[in-house]
Amino acid sequence: MRKWPISSAVLAFVLFPIRLAIGQTSGTSASATTDAKAAGIPRLADGHPDLQGLWHNDSGYQAAMKNIRGATNLAVALGDFHGAGFPLPLPYLPIAEKVKDYRNLHDPYHDPEAHCHVPGVPREIEQPTSLFPFQIIQDEKNVVLLFEYTHDVRIIPEDGSSHPKHYWTWDGDSRGHWEGDTFVVDVANFNGRTWLDMEANFVDENEHVVERYTMVDPNAIEYSATVEDPTVFTRPWTLHLTLKRNPAKEQIVYYDCHEGERDVQHYTRSEGNKGNKHE
Amino acid sequence: MSRHRILVLMTTVVVAACVSFAARGAASSNEGKETDLYSPSRLADGTPDFRGIWQARTTAYVNIEGHPAEKGLAAAKSIIVDPPEGKIPYLADALKQRAGNYENRTSADPASNCFQAGVPRATYLPTPFQIVQSVGNLAIVYTDNHAYRIVLPSGIPHDDGIDFFMGDSRGHWEGNTLVIDVTDLGDQTWLDAAGNYHSDQLHVVERYTLLGPDTMKYEATMEDPMVYAKPWSVRLLLYRDKRPGARIIEDECLEGADGLWHHISPFDAKAVIHHDYKAELEAAQKNP
Repeated sequence: MRKWPISSAVLAFVLFPIRLAIGQTSGTSASATTDAKAAGIPRLADGHPDLQGLWHNDSGYQAAMKNIRGATNLAVALGDFHGAGFPLPLPYLPIAEKVKDYRNLHDPYHDPEAHCHVPGVPREIEQPTSLFPFQIIQDEKNVVLLFEYTHDVRIIPEDGSSHPKHYWTWDGDSRGHWEGDTFVVDVANFNGRTWLDMEANFVDENEHVVERYTMVDPNAIEYSATVEDPTVFTRPWTLHLTLKRNPAKEQIVYYDCHEGERDVQHYTRSEGNKGNKHE
Repeated sequence: MSRHRILVLMTTVVVAACVSFAARGAASSNEGKETDLYSPSRLADGTPDFRGIWQARTTAYVNIEGHPAEKGLAAAKSIIVDPPEGKIPYLADALKQRAGNYENRTSADPASNCFQAGVPRATYLPTPFQIVQSVGNLAIVYTDNHAYRIVLPSGIPHDDGIDFFMGDSRGHWEGNTLVIDVTDLGDQTWLDAAGNYHSDQLHVVERYTLLGPDTMKYEATMEDPMVYAKPWSVRLLLYRDKRPGARIIEDECLEGADGLWHHISPFDAKAVIHHDYKAELEAAQKNP
């Protein structure tokens, strides 16, 4: 893995120790039980599992730990655990795979995250280094996800409403409902600008995601995202991650990205696309 | 990386203590009762329920001090209630700086580059914000640049030695009024589009009070010894978006060919990329 921009690598180096302690203080193994009631998970007055708190992508964290041991180059090591939880290789249509390979080789500059755009779904949950947690605030009407990275926000209503028409976004439009103890979110209305990672894996405007959040013990949520996009992939595929609760003393540290941003200078821009900044 | 170093970094960067917001609300619920004309509905722990989408209907986003209309700038009415003349009590040098900001406002306003608005400007932008609340938690999510503030309980000290565009917020309840103390604001935000400004020493105390089910009073006092001769205050009303199913929309900015950042509308079909992969690859081969 090669394209960790310098300043991000430096940032990661500075921030990484903060999150290093997470694995040592998190609760019991997520696989211990799937019986939510037996596990004694917290619940709101409406009976639904209480998902509130600070969470991070523990699968990414574990991959990082495995990779970082014995690594000689920290920046490379930090980049290389990217992809934990993805069913690789993704089932691309042949032409989409060529596009992905071309962009990966020539156009890393066009990664929307490099331009401080919100990551989209499921990239915002998957944040590879687990450096950036997100906070859930939940009531009987909404589940709200407040991401540290690029102050990305999703307010997910549970009112049975459907996706709007004539509305297109980076993060999509999210509508949630409960299936037993699992919070299920249907995400659509994407604008065709989102990448899945820094390797130019991508989705387009036809992306449709179904996310499932299942709290398996008070400190762990099993997360899955089934992604379908008939113009990019031959079939739907599913990302599986374990989210772990951050220690109670931690809080979101605001991430101001676009303001005074200089990181994009560390990306190389395809010669053929000079002057065409985003597309 | 030694365990010791990890702990030191944790202590310095990650701030401690999650005191219960709920307990503080209940403990202070007897204060300020004489000013509470309206008794709002409450969450299970007794704290006033401020949830909903709110929006100002003032001209303060143009000029917080108010001014007559002129070319490229609509007329505005001051929202400043203290001092009574409705003007910011600038120090003499700061007034010169403000005049310069005004001259260059089109390009110098940080908001024109899609920077987050800061406090209190985010409150009276022409776009709404949503208060998200549950027992023990409160956050304010703004439409503008999807900025948000998590209001932690007042018992947790402010972060030290770091600035954020939306500051660092600590809240408590005085009767039915939510009082938020905001510090750690930087010097790269303005108060409006007319060049009114502050330094990184700005300290804001906000007060949110429901006057009825759909009306909220917003008051803020600004203190900044680098720029103002004395503290000053604004007051305005916020109105609830009562449309069924109302939601705040995604607001992202995109860099244009002119190198400037522009808000793009999620309702603009032209902003959607409809991919033609065959054409993209052919173009790539012609121009490798």
